[in-house]
Amino acid sequence: MFRRSFVSALVGAGTLAAIRTPALAADHKPVVGLVMKSLANEFFKDMQEGAVQHAKERGDFTLIPVGIQSETDIDGQIAAVENLVTRHVDAIVIAPADSRALLPPIARAIKSGIKVINIDVAFDPASMKKRGVDIAFVGPDNRDGARLSADVLAAKLGRGGKVVILEGNPGAENGVQRRLGFMDSINANGLKLLDSRTAHWETEEANSVFANMLTAHPDIQGVMAANDSMALGVVKAIDASGRSGKIQVVSFDNIPAIRPLLENGKVLATVDQFGAQLAAMGVDNALKEVQGQTLTGWIKTPVKLIKGRDAG
Amino acid sequence: MTAIPAAAAGSGANGGPDAGAGGALSLRGLGKRFPGVVALDGVSLEITAGEMHALAGENGAGKSSLIRLLAGIHRPDDGEMRLDGVPYAPTAPIDAIRAGVRVVHQELNLLPALSVAENLLFERLPRRGGGFLDRRRMDEEARALLARVGLDAVSPRTPVEQLGIAQRQLLEIARALRGEGRVLILDEPTATLTPREAGRLFEQIHALKARGMTMIYVSHHLGEIFSLCDRVSVLRNGRLVSTERTVDTDPPSLVRAMIGRTLAQQAPVSGATLGAEALRVRSLLPRNAPPDGRIDFSLRYGEILGIAGLVGAGRTEVLRAIFGADGERPGTIERDGRPVRIRAPRDATRAGIGLLTEDRKAEGLVLPMSSAVNTTLGALKRVANGGFLRPRAEADACRRYAAELATRLSGPHQPAVELSGGNQQKIVLAKWLFAEARVLMLDEPTRGIDVGAKAEIYALLGRLAAEGRAILVVSSELPELMHLCDRVLVLSRGHLAGKVARADFSEERILALAYSRFMRQAAS
Amino acid sequence: MPDALTAAPPAIRWRRSRLLLRDAGIGIALLAMVLFFALAAPDFLSGANVGNILTQITINLILATGMTFAILVGGIDLSVGAVMALCAVVAGTVMKGDGLSEPLAVFLGIAASLAVGAVAGALNGFVSSFWSIPSFIVTLGMLNVARGSALEVTGARTIYDFPDSFIAFGTATLFGLPLMFLLALLLLLVGWVVLTRTVFGRMIYAIGNNDEAVRLSGHRPFTTKVAAFTVTGLCVGIAAIVYVTRLSIANPILGVGFELNAIAAVIIGGTSLSGGRGSLVGTLLGAVIIGVLSNGLILMGVTDFIRQIITGLVIIGAVILDSYRARLSRAA
Repeated sequence: MFRRSFVSALVGAGTLAAIRTPALAADHKPVVGLVMKSLANEFFKDMQEGAVQHAKERGDFTLIPVGIQSETDIDGQIAAVENLVTRHVDAIVIAPADSRALLPPIARAIKSGIKVINIDVAFDPASMKKRGVDIAFVGPDNRDGARLSADVLAAKLGRGGKVVILEGNPGAENGVQRRLGFMDSINANGLKLLDSRTAHWETEEANSVFANMLTAHPDIQGVMAANDSMALGVVKAIDASGRSGKIQVVSFDNIPAIRPLLENGKVLATVDQFGAQLAAMGVDNALKEVQGQTLTGWIKTPVKLIKGRDAG
Repeated sequence: MTAIPAAAAGSGANGGPDAGAGGALSLRGLGKRFPGVVALDGVSLEITAGEMHALAGENGAGKSSLIRLLAGIHRPDDGEMRLDGVPYAPTAPIDAIRAGVRVVHQELNLLPALSVAENLLFERLPRRGGGFLDRRRMDEEARALLARVGLDAVSPRTPVEQLGIAQRQLLEIARALRGEGRVLILDEPTATLTPREAGRLFEQIHALKARGMTMIYVSHHLGEIFSLCDRVSVLRNGRLVSTERTVDTDPPSLVRAMIGRTLAQQAPVSGATLGAEALRVRSLLPRNAPPDGRIDFSLRYGEILGIAGLVGAGRTEVLRAIFGADGERPGTIERDGRPVRIRAPRDATRAGIGLLTEDRKAEGLVLPMSSAVNTTLGALKRVANGGFLRPRAEADACRRYAAELATRLSGPHQPAVELSGGNQQKIVLAKWLFAEARVLMLDEPTRGIDVGAKAEIYALLGRLAAEGRAILVVSSELPELMHLCDRVLVLSRGHLAGKVARADFSEERILALAYSRFMRQAAS
Repeated sequence: MPDALTAAPPAIRWRRSRLLLRDAGIGIALLAMVLFFALAAPDFLSGANVGNILTQITINLILATGMTFAILVGGIDLSVGAVMALCAVVAGTVMKGDGLSEPLAVFLGIAASLAVGAVAGALNGFVSSFWSIPSFIVTLGMLNVARGSALEVTGARTIYDFPDSFIAFGTATLFGLPLMFLLALLLLLVGWVVLTRTVFGRMIYAIGNNDEAVRLSGHRPFTTKVAAFTVTGLCVGIAAIVYVTRLSIANPILGVGFELNAIAAVIIGGTSLSGGRGSLVGTLLGAVIIGVLSNGLILMGVTDFIRQIITGLVIIGAVILDSYRARLSRAA
């Protein structure tokens, strides 16, 4: 209880500060609030910076970006939404920390006339129906992206190739989707899944968990990592076992640190979902709504397969 | 909480009637022993219903033990108690409370952050269905109780921490008055009060007495005993030595009864040739001392100087002030004629001063660690080489002092926790000898130590003085001080009431000084 | 006051042997665990897997070695994971500085990591002992300060692409054992000597047992406490370097929750959370138990969630054991 209110107080304070900083829109430009997840995460940090850059380039709207403390700080995000409603922004673009818990404050925002665009993780359709709202989702198809990445591995190994999966945080929606995408490819291409475990998106844990998987299953031929950070740890474990080149790795995200590994062939492929532009795309769609359009359903953003040197 | 017994279930809502029927207490042949100590020895006493009975005696005479038996904290080893003719054998405080025997202890047992009402009713909070507190009834009951101790002006919702110390004392009494009380025991209720506050307390005690409550009153304040109580019983060494009506006796004869013993004087320990002045204390103000409670004295090499006084007189605080244990205190301290600034125990040990605290286990020893570790703790440099310990040197040091002080150890590695009280005390002494302290201060050096070991400690102190160390001893046992010391300083309520030289030693004289500040108050 | 210290010698001897048995109990538990996994997972005892386990416990072992100092002196350090991230990203930033020759860059990077760790530890010790605040609270604050600083320094970005000579240490072996594990073992040995053979170590145990008695013996517990926390921080700095060499990256969100693993290793190793009792030998066993448990369960194919449950139960079991230990010494 103490912790919760303490954290919300912190976030609340940060949110207020963030909202006060930009000059208030006295020039009648539409004001768009961007509610992000944890800016401690490189992915969201890039996304926010992309949006800020985009606002500078377009110049016809005012952006209020707000971040929260950690991935799971739902309270903080709710407070951020409520603050934006109080400020009477024209539109809110949100990457919800939870696909259900954020709906009530967002529904209130919509009732007060604010246009809302959902990015990154989609709101739960059933919950939306219950609340009587239909919010457009602008985002990549994680499942399809993961399938693209895994298909590269499948092509390399051929039918019957033995693979393992490193999952993201149990319960994280994008992690779940990526795992489903990996499974789609495994089923379609006749691969054999030896083991599937979480390493909580984390490099060191992925390194340890994969090394142990490798002991249990010395015949592993391929690895599907749900993000690049984990792939980094996997590659180090393969190097340490002296099996470089014999075990193939595919992953997801295309962070800068993975690029050298794509170049030297230690990673076969990754997927870029253009995170840096995702928020900007959300903002563009929000502005369309502000101008009178009504958007619903899933507006897919591009995902691009990035192949490494050794991809077929 | 369970329901109160049928007999006592008159009306809880308004605090109950003042006193139930009776309250006559009959004690027969009560005995209580602790390892090495006989706390009570065949105490028989009849307290009649509605009487106000005082218990007097020196520190450790058995007053507290007797109260603990009555309160159900301890059980007697021998004898029996009867309350209004019915056997009374409480096995826990709750039994005593149910029987209507209520104790207001010397140390307050209030919960500072909770309200007055919550404190008063804590033992059985009024509640509604579903575990909710019945706040209205709480306020009503609390107001009724507060009125009975003259605290009408205090709101039941006030947090206790906002009350003054006297109000808290009255609150304790109010709490004890809840339900049907038959016997109310007050243990040193005025110890922390100013005379004016005490006056207000006495008014309420008179009022309770007028309503027929049986009361047992424990106090060092002879004036209070004579002005409040019907009869007074004197305890000495766990035995009841007299019970008299207060109108039939007077303070001097009471003090005589308290000392009483015709002690075969042992040969004095002290008497070494005195050397130069080792320690001089000028205008020292210990912690918790009254603002004018400045202490002045000097101590010479070879001398054993005692500090006497009642519990709470500020004896320990004097030692701690000299040792810097409570930080830097106002006043000056000179070692070997030179002023030294003592801000922390470190400064004192560097000046060659050592302190053997009363609570060996909490402050003197690192109990789980070995005797060798404890022996060398004050001077680790002497058993280390460039920061590395030399285990052989440690063990040697421990063995050497164990031999010198005749400490019974299985070896240097024996943890201090396994040693007897006397041997633990010797380890602490060894620590200071090893640290080359030439001024040794000892606080109750023989507390919790059996008789044989006491004699050993006395002999040791005599030898250490004879070797030229300066020794300062605080003790609650007058015979001990008279046996050990060349001179005795007497403290009374934080004031230095007098200094008595060996030639003038008498228990009456020392006690008279120890009580001097109380007598004055009683007279005024 | 009843004086129950006059225990008869046979009773003492009986109790001692029981204490000894219980201390050995950790080792016996580890042995049983190893035996069980060897039977249940055929590859468990293979050279490669043993090497894996040793590599995987190295960081935790270094952190736990430092943590042992903080806990023995009567404190705790919840900031080690976050401070480790700060050390790693500062070292990374320094190492990637322009115009540095490779050896100089590596040297400065390592020095920066150790310095950041030591300063953070010293601050923890200073604040908690100067103002007598529980170190639990102070280091909880430091956790946030360090994590925030790490994010600020890097702008939340991952630092990668370090000099090869530096990274090579991460996979180097000596006599078939991972070099970094040998480093951790050396550190543990040094720590053990410090704790058991030096005045500083003696003061740590004494303060952990009875702070007031030490003060009244003429010492300043303050200095020792600050030094003990500085050692904890220094170990964090070393662990950060090991992390970077092992994984070739430094990012500001690494090390989340590592403090809990380090504390678990110390406690499973039989060091009392209330301070003053325990040893680095126990900490070594504790870290190995955690590593073996995690490795063995994966080898057996136990699922993630069940693995987490089992790890939790082992920690609780160890703390229950510790409460018996406390009760035993109180009963003495």
